[in-house]
Amino acid sequence: MGFLDAVFGRKGPALTKASDDDLFDDDFQRKLDYLALVSKRVFAGRMRAERRTKKSGSGVEFADHRDYQPGDDFRYLDWNVFQRLDRLLVRLYEEEEDLAIYFIVDTSSSMGFGDGKKLRYAKRVVAALAYVGLANLDRVSIVSTTDRVLDRMPSTRGKARIFKVLRFLRELQPEGQTDLGDALKTFVAQHKRRGLVVLASDLYDPNGFERGINVLRYNKFDPFVVHVIDREEARPKLSGDVLLYDCETGDEREVTVTAKVLERFAEAYAKYLEDVERFCTSKQVPYIQADVSVPFDELILRVFRRGGFLR
Amino acid sequence: MILAGLSLAQIAAVFGVAAAFATALYILKLRRRTVAVPFAKLWERILRDKEATSLFSRLKRLLSLLVQLALIALLAFALGDPRAAATLIKGRNLVVLVDASASMQATDVPPAKNRLEAAKEEVKKVIRGLGGSDRMLIAQMDAAVTPLGPASSDTSELERALDLIKPTDARADFPRALRFAIDSLRGLENPEIVVVSDGRLGEAVDASGKVHLGDDIKLTYLPIGRGVRNVGITAFSVRRYPLDKSRYEVMLEVTNTGPETEDIELSLFADPKPGDPNDNGQLVDLTKLRLKPGERLPRFYPNLSGASRALKALISPLPNSVDELPADNAAYALLPERRRAKVLVVTTGNTYLEAALLLDEYLDVQLVSPKEYAEKIAPGGARYDVVIFDAATPADPPRAHAIYLDPRGPGSPVKVEGEMQNPGFDRIERKHPIVRWTALDDVNIAHARKLVPQPGDKVVGASFEGPLLVTGQRGGYKFVAMGFDPRESDLPLRVAWPLLLLNVINFFTDEDAQYISSFRTGDVWRIPVVTHTGQARLKVPSGEELLVPVHEGRAVYLGEHAGFYELVGAEGVDPSETAALGGGADGRDLPEPSAKENAGAGGPPPTVTAFAANLLDAEESAIEPAKELVVDGKKAGTLVGFQIGVRREIWIYLLIAAIVLTAIEWVTYHRRITV
Repeated sequence: MGFLDAVFGRKGPALTKASDDDLFDDDFQRKLDYLALVSKRVFAGRMRAERRTKKSGSGVEFADHRDYQPGDDFRYLDWNVFQRLDRLLVRLYEEEEDLAIYFIVDTSSSMGFGDGKKLRYAKRVVAALAYVGLANLDRVSIVSTTDRVLDRMPSTRGKARIFKVLRFLRELQPEGQTDLGDALKTFVAQHKRRGLVVLASDLYDPNGFERGINVLRYNKFDPFVVHVIDREEARPKLSGDVLLYDCETGDEREVTVTAKVLERFAEAYAKYLEDVERFCTSKQVPYIQADVSVPFDELILRVFRRGGFLR
Repeated sequence: MILAGLSLAQIAAVFGVAAAFATALYILKLRRRTVAVPFAKLWERILRDKEATSLFSRLKRLLSLLVQLALIALLAFALGDPRAAATLIKGRNLVVLVDASASMQATDVPPAKNRLEAAKEEVKKVIRGLGGSDRMLIAQMDAAVTPLGPASSDTSELERALDLIKPTDARADFPRALRFAIDSLRGLENPEIVVVSDGRLGEAVDASGKVHLGDDIKLTYLPIGRGVRNVGITAFSVRRYPLDKSRYEVMLEVTNTGPETEDIELSLFADPKPGDPNDNGQLVDLTKLRLKPGERLPRFYPNLSGASRALKALISPLPNSVDELPADNAAYALLPERRRAKVLVVTTGNTYLEAALLLDEYLDVQLVSPKEYAEKIAPGGARYDVVIFDAATPADPPRAHAIYLDPRGPGSPVKVEGEMQNPGFDRIERKHPIVRWTALDDVNIAHARKLVPQPGDKVVGASFEGPLLVTGQRGGYKFVAMGFDPRESDLPLRVAWPLLLLNVINFFTDEDAQYISSFRTGDVWRIPVVTHTGQARLKVPSGEELLVPVHEGRAVYLGEHAGFYELVGAEGVDPSETAALGGGADGRDLPEPSAKENAGAGGPPPTVTAFAANLLDAEESAIEPAKELVVDGKKAGTLVGFQIGVRREIWIYLLIAAIVLTAIEWVTYHRRITV
């Protein structure tokens, strides 16, 4: 607590610069390997790790026919069909292509609220999913946002790049306000290649969480919402007459906290979570609640089962 | 309504300042604790609801302010000490006399332990009903009257004084208590004496005459007790047989003071442990008795043995009988001490004398010839309790009590004149202890010599011609001189001869003089004691030791408890230590005079005098409570004007109201009703 905070009676640090030295320790990396293995075994046969685009090209797997156009490569003409139907058709093949996976980490002040549990949790989840993506030869890119795009890790692929991912994540610190709408507009403008966008955020957006998700949807990205929540925030340890201030915006509210008020706050919090989930469901956006009290590897398995991340 | 404290203007000023202060505090905005939250928007919905009720909130704060103002108003008004105009001038001065006599130990008032406890409860109610201007003095009434504190209106102080009252085994001295109360109330307004008793107080008359209450003093009687059934020991005495001191006889009287026939068991115990009221000793006799209503039943137990020192009589009711007063169910007595006396007989040979002395086994008799006495014993100064000179008078009187049979010569303690022929005991001082139980009237004497007593000597027996039997004191030692040789008479053939001899020896050794069978509780006891410090140490039945003053060789003590006592001269105690006089447990801290100290001082070990004390009062055993009390021809009234729980000071109620309001405010604040 700083001197001014002490003078003005601000209670404790709203933001904690948590130590991330032990964020990705050996134990964490062993768990990543395990998760990568599990992702292959669980989804083997149903979903291959390698992703394919609908784009026809020089692949080996037949996809479709189309009428011959002058200039087409004669090698792809299907002579059997021409013999049977007397039509010139060109064979189309599925072209194998690595999928782009973008991880957007909300690093606003609210993510570092208290002891920064939410941001640390988000970092670990992103690291785990990124590792799975890298292991599946997908192109993985990480972006940190607040009300703008703060920092980005360029697309990379291959398991060996996981240390780059970890280094990038380790350096993220909570600061600034949340405005997912503006931040993600910048993001889509910067990233022309469409792909899966994993949004790890507490969605405490004063302008509405819907805006950011819609920006992704409208720009043909596949959003996947990892909603990082801390259930203790539903039960704040407050009582009596207090002056509440928002750790991001600094907005102040006078409240007399009673048991009844706390009860109503818990209801409001639950309703907020419900609103988020209902919105995602209605828009067919894969959504998962990442409770910081749940071990992150357990959450990753839930992500796999939920679908949308692995196809 | 009168304000006994602050004036109305002062109250208004106090209220104004305090109310302004409280209002200012309400107007000032409370600085709130600042707390960060991650997302303030979540609180907005709740705050919107709160804002919707902000008008109600303001009203609640106003209500809270009003409560505070009411609180201040009550306290300010309490500072004024408002009183009803009528009560301000009518404060009463009360002396409460609480009877602590033996009959107040009756257990007929359940659930109270006894009448005294019930009386205390009643007085407590009176205390709680005291008016603001009333003043009360509480005094314990027993054989003496003891004020237990100053006159006060402080209820806690009065209740503490009340708790000091302890029961006694004595009769109440009602006239003395009344005189004390009258003296205490003299010159005071609205005087009132409250007697809390079972009414067994007797007439209010003492040596000074009737007690006059005066016209202005109001007498109130608060009767305690219901029961009437009681059996008590009303007489108890014991004595040893003179010729067989190992045996004794007991006289005891049991009285049924109730209206029903009662069956009781009477037990006689030997040698209970001193200082332990619960120890009864060894049972020597057990009898069942039936007593008709009002019957006094004397019992005589001859020829008992088995006790060496003390006796205790106990009665207990048999099934279907009731005894509601335990205080008179026990009686105590001490047997006279048996001590072996050293007797030197200087004689040329007297069979009658020797035979008589053989009768008492507690005599250590040594026979010497007059020549041997003169040559060996007299110069040696050997100590004897008694020396008997049989027709041989020494040149110098011995340093011991002496019996002179037929004395003559210059060494005789009394002058001897001419002879008398055939004299007889025409005059006998029958009350004198040396002639107790003897019949000397018809003793025939052949020759006798006329004794001439000196001033201060006592002629116990004499013929018409002159004294025959004289006693007195020479050089600090007693003597008895008999003016004839017993062999010249028929006295040795009579029972009176050994009795006379043994009486004289007992008289010398003070055996009977020191014997105190029992004292009566409620009297001032004067017990002989040897001490040089002016104080004696008294061990009371409960085991406590007290220092008591010694006046003219006697310890003086007002005894109020039945049981066995032990008294010893307080040697080794600083005479200045008078603080503990009659002071109960304080005596325990006094240094014990050890045997070593006494040896160093060269004096003999201190003599312990034991004695017993008993109630033995048929009046006190009659426990039927008196319905009314009459003093000086005036009947005592009943207690009025003491409503329990109603004090006349209004400020107390104002304060209580303020506390209640504070409690309401506290509850409503913490339940967020007035926030």
